[in-house]
Amino acid sequence: MENQVKLDSHGETLLRQYHELRPTMEELAQEAYEQLHRAIKEQGIYVTAIEQRVKTEHSLAGKLELKGAKYKSIDDVTDLVGLRVITFYTDEVDKVAVIAKRIFDVDWQESVDKRKSHDWDSFGYNSLHYICRLKTGGMRFELQMRTALQHVWSTIEHDTGYKSNIVIPREYMRQFSRLAGMLELIDDEFSRLRMVLNDYRRQIQALVKNGRLDEVPLSADTFRSFLGLLPFDHLNRRIAAVNQAEIYPVSLMPFLPVLESFGMETLGDVQRFVDENSDDAHQLALSQLAITDIDILSSSAALQYLCLVYVLKHGGGRDGLKAIYDTINGESDSNGILADLMLEQAKTLPFMQQNFNPTDNGK
Amino acid sequence: MNTVLKEENNDLVMYFEGRLDTASAPRVETDVAPLKESSGHDIILDCSKLEYISSAGLRIFLSILKSAKPKGDHVYIRGISNDIRAVFAMTGFVNLFEFK
Repeated sequence: MENQVKLDSHGETLLRQYHELRPTMEELAQEAYEQLHRAIKEQGIYVTAIEQRVKTEHSLAGKLELKGAKYKSIDDVTDLVGLRVITFYTDEVDKVAVIAKRIFDVDWQESVDKRKSHDWDSFGYNSLHYICRLKTGGMRFELQMRTALQHVWSTIEHDTGYKSNIVIPREYMRQFSRLAGMLELIDDEFSRLRMVLNDYRRQIQALVKNGRLDEVPLSADTFRSFLGLLPFDHLNRRIAAVNQAEIYPVSLMPFLPVLESFGMETLGDVQRFVDENSDDAHQLALSQLAITDIDILSSSAALQYLCLVYVLKHGGGRDGLKAIYDTINGESDSNGILADLMLEQAKTLPFMQQNFNPTDNGK
Repeated sequence: MNTVLKEENNDLVMYFEGRLDTASAPRVETDVAPLKESSGHDIILDCSKLEYISSAGLRIFLSILKSAKPKGDHVYIRGISNDIRAVFAMTGFVNLFEFK
């Protein structure tokens, strides 16, 4: 049961003004939210949440009971309409702040960067608050900008009620301070790590672009960059040419574990795998497609045939072929049927004449 | 070419019977429209009695997959013959579908 709030006559007047303004505040909250949401999206910033709310009557009444005399009119309460942006990283708080400055009029007298306002013995981990107006004028509203960890701090801080009037013993205050410091450190470390990873990605992309593929370890990130060079495009087009086929684009990332299972460690290994097996992969594809009138192919066709040929040339046989399909499609007996079909087709091809041993029953 | 659409255990199952080729594709395209409009159901393409699939048929299957994926629905191909499985394998589409 919530405590009954006791307001003096000034407080009651402010509450009446609040009721009159409520529809206007709802509209303002929605309009400010939409402007902010659109601007953040346009800048390509990915945030965890954008929220809007109008202060509840109960919350306002509690505030007026405590410090109603401070407000001459309802316009002096700056957080009746509130927006909150929760970002992943600390530097994104600053980016959102720049956006806010551009799309809203910021009241600098009232705005505060609580991140910078700590005394040496204070505790807490706070966010950036702007008091804004729409460019078209109207009521003010509060915009809070914080990281996900700052949000965690704020939520727990609220739940523990340490900001109430109860005097908290020094030992507990110290625990709060230690936790706040730890969260700040983690936020900074996440930002730093992201910067390091972005630098690494740029370096790798430069190496890929310059063709220094042997220096680039094979990973999901580097393979994705490598795919940007369209390394299987030439073979796909050679295969498609037989039936003037359309090439239907699909992701090639599921093949990465297959390449890793072949022991490939760098993009250089993958490039050699393409160079050394393309002609045989082309033969294998033609042996199947040339006798059909199929005029649509998956863009994974070239890579699939390269993998099949690689396995067969390295003596992987039926089990090796099945392992490819198991890796890509998930383990299934039906992959054995695919392996048999491919093995049967491949047996007649020149590269298999050099590798295939009829006495090993296809293994 | 005949198709029958049934709901089985909250899945939408379309049964294909005969040859799915250029001649039959336009009508099958109409038949599969409810599959593309559905949401919240996994789709099973029952190929137990499908005798042949051409490029036109592959395109229909791909269009079903393309509409189901963004909705989080799965598309399974069931009861496929070895000949038709070979078509999926040689074109690389075997990596795209889930088979039952």
